[in-house]
Amino acid sequence: MEGQVGGSGEEFAVGCLLSIKTTLGDEFDGQVMAFDRFTNMLGLKSGPRRNIRLLNANYIKDFSFLGQADDPLDPKKCFLDLSRLQAREHLAVRQAEADAQRIGVGVTTEAQNIFDALSKTLPVRWDKTVIVVMNEVRVSSPYLPESVSGGTAAANERVKKVLEFERKRLQARGSSQG
Amino acid sequence: MYNGVSFFTVECEVGFMCGIEGRGLLLLMMNLQQVMPPKSTANGFGRRRGEREGGTRLESKSQSGKSNSGRVTTTGSVIGSKSGSCAVSSHDKLLYLASCLIGLSVEVQVKGGSVYAGIFHATSDEKDFGVILKMARLIKDGNFRGQKTVAEFVSKPPSKNFIIPSSELVQVIAKDVAVTRDGFANELQSDKQRELMIDSLISQTRHVEERELEPWIPDEDVPQLPELENIFDDPWNSKKWDQFETNETLFGVKTTFNEELYTTKLLRGPQTEELEKEAARIAREIAGEDTQDLHLAEERGSSIHENLGIDEETRFSSVYRGTGFDDSGYEEDEDIVLNTHNNETFGDSSGSVDQISTDFAIAKSSDGGQLSSSSFIVDEAQTSQSDGTGADLYCSEIPSRNFSTLDSESRVQENLLGECGGNNDAKDFVEKQPLPEDAQLPKSGDSQSSPNREKAGTIKVGRSANATPYSTSHVLSKGNEKTSSHGEPVDVAASCKAPGEPQSVNSRGRPGSSASSNSDRAAATSASSGPGLSPSSSMGSLSSEKSTLNPYAKEFKLNPNAKSFTPSQASARPLSPVADNAFYHPPNVSAVPHMHGLPVGFGMGPSLAAQQPVIYPQIAPMQSPQTYYHPHGPQYGQQMLVGQSRPVFYLPNYQPGIQVLRTYQRLLFPV
Repeated sequence: MEGQVGGSGEEFAVGCLLSIKTTLGDEFDGQVMAFDRFTNMLGLKSGPRRNIRLLNANYIKDFSFLGQADDPLDPKKCFLDLSRLQAREHLAVRQAEADAQRIGVGVTTEAQNIFDALSKTLPVRWDKTVIVVMNEVRVSSPYLPESVSGGTAAANERVKKVLEFERKRLQARGSSQG
Repeated sequence: MYNGVSFFTVECEVGFMCGIEGRGLLLLMMNLQQVMPPKSTANGFGRRRGEREGGTRLESKSQSGKSNSGRVTTTGSVIGSKSGSCAVSSHDKLLYLASCLIGLSVEVQVKGGSVYAGIFHATSDEKDFGVILKMARLIKDGNFRGQKTVAEFVSKPPSKNFIIPSSELVQVIAKDVAVTRDGFANELQSDKQRELMIDSLISQTRHVEERELEPWIPDEDVPQLPELENIFDDPWNSKKWDQFETNETLFGVKTTFNEELYTTKLLRGPQTEELEKEAARIAREIAGEDTQDLHLAEERGSSIHENLGIDEETRFSSVYRGTGFDDSGYEEDEDIVLNTHNNETFGDSSGSVDQISTDFAIAKSSDGGQLSSSSFIVDEAQTSQSDGTGADLYCSEIPSRNFSTLDSESRVQENLLGECGGNNDAKDFVEKQPLPEDAQLPKSGDSQSSPNREKAGTIKVGRSANATPYSTSHVLSKGNEKTSSHGEPVDVAASCKAPGEPQSVNSRGRPGSSASSNSDRAAATSASSGPGLSPSSSMGSLSSEKSTLNPYAKEFKLNPNAKSFTPSQASARPLSPVADNAFYHPPNVSAVPHMHGLPVGFGMGPSLAAQQPVIYPQIAPMQSPQTYYHPHGPQYGQQMLVGQSRPVFYLPNYQPGIQVLRTYQRLLFPV
């Protein structure tokens, strides 16, 4: 069935090794773990790294058969621990939320970098596009030492210094990276 | 909880699992990117589908079940390999795969080429395969073709719930996914590898992976110096090692310890000797009592191990393993045999009698390194010593204790020392059946009443569910002839006030039978008006009579909020110092105070040494050489020496005969 676009009539055997090209330009190899012809979804395992790919077979532009192997999913070894999955998800969500706090929305990459650099040593948070340091000092666009305002004189000074330093570091790194 | 769902049954559950909450799709706070179809449409579409899914889930599941075989056959194989041999449809496999992704960070590519990264939350089932991500963000915009993921210019915060309908879905990519049990096991293992096995973990967890114990073999290159090891073996050893002398000699360090700084001054009167004798007798009785408690037995030299498969670990050091218990918890069923003498002695369980007559028995939990709590010292004074024989009754929470029953004729008022109630950190304390009082115990120096007493008040302790032996509960009964309500002497139960509800304590985590039996006992026990006995209050009520009570004694106040005490099972713990007024000695004690000794305590060797109590090694032989009483010091406790004896520490002017037993209040148990 080479060259045949995946359609509802086609069956993919579990265990097949395939090389697939998608309509979007992706190319990869994988071993078929599951295929649901009703939804036309293909479950593939690829690479040595246990990567799983669920592919909508409609988008297979092209594939070729590479070989046949055993069913990679041993039914005897498969089980699902719901609680663990849920816990994992909750944890991931919490972490993602925490991470999201650190990402400024609508800010430039540079600003984000500055934020990240500052956050290494100072407590910072985003307030729209303003970096708020220690809840008192505000650094607004364009995030230059001149843009630092607020807070006590000491805090202000400190933030300014850190900002300068981090900017220099970023510049140096940026330029070294080309 | 699903600990393991076999793949074959996963079919029914997977559909639900995909939705986590059991529903196919979550339609919350959708926030679609511009590349997605218009919001309303997607919403509507999604919702409809969701509803459809939800509504028809059950049928569809059953349908898919029925069609399973059909699928299997039709799924066939390209080359002829059998995919259907295990009767698991590919659809199910797909669902299984999807379920394995739950909670993982995945990337989803959609029709336009955009890629979103988020946490895989759910997939829809049935005809379409849509996906829901949590905290999704755009990482590759399909509009900018050919552009790889750039440093993200975040234009909007991540979407809390991001729905990708099946029509848009191209692929879902997840990295490094465990799909089989081995994979899961590896994941779990890395989580658990660093888990420390602390005592409370062991005692509370139902299933604990038991380690294989190996006997310790000393290193070969360690110099063996037998003379060092033996020096303390003989408590009355001829070398008469006095650490304080040694200290003074070597370092010029003098002890400044003065017992009276820490406790009430011991008053000696003309009847000191009698009191001493009586105390000795009682101590002997207590120490000679049978016990089911492994460690008590060890102390007393009795061996109950032969019949039971008790290995060294259990005998000396293992962690108490209950089921669902707080590690200080007392547990297990105990069949306590109510002794009919109880009623005789104490009359009806009602009214003031209850207070007085209740003995309390404290059951000690099973083995596992549990050392009986503090030594329990009761100082009793003759009631005939009218003035102010104190009933300074504190309850000490002591897990197991043997108290010799006082001869009711002895007219000895018992001082139960310890701090009762109000101790919020008191552990759960379980009251056991009072040991019936043999009111006819002959007074005079008969120290052999213990056997009788034991028979009279046998408390049979059944085996716990763990089949580990645990101590019988011992009943403390004190004699107090000053029971106004009785014509005859009534034993005063030196009940430890157990703050809280012993019943509740008992029943907590207990099998139901024990709970009921406990509550029965508690109910039947005359002692309990409430968990705690308030001997002091009962004492107080007797003050009208020839007062043997200490008018200055603190009145016992039941603290209903105090936690019940339950002795902890963990290994040796330091005891808290006895509180002020812990020890009351009546001013004119003429009779031999009856002293009850609690032979067990916590091992406190090093700390005791640090106390620098005055030691007089040449102590009159004790009946129970293994028990010794450390009268003072910030840390109270009796060392429990298994198989060893230590010299008894005496006060300078103590006569050899006296063994002063003090109750220790407030055992502190680490929580």
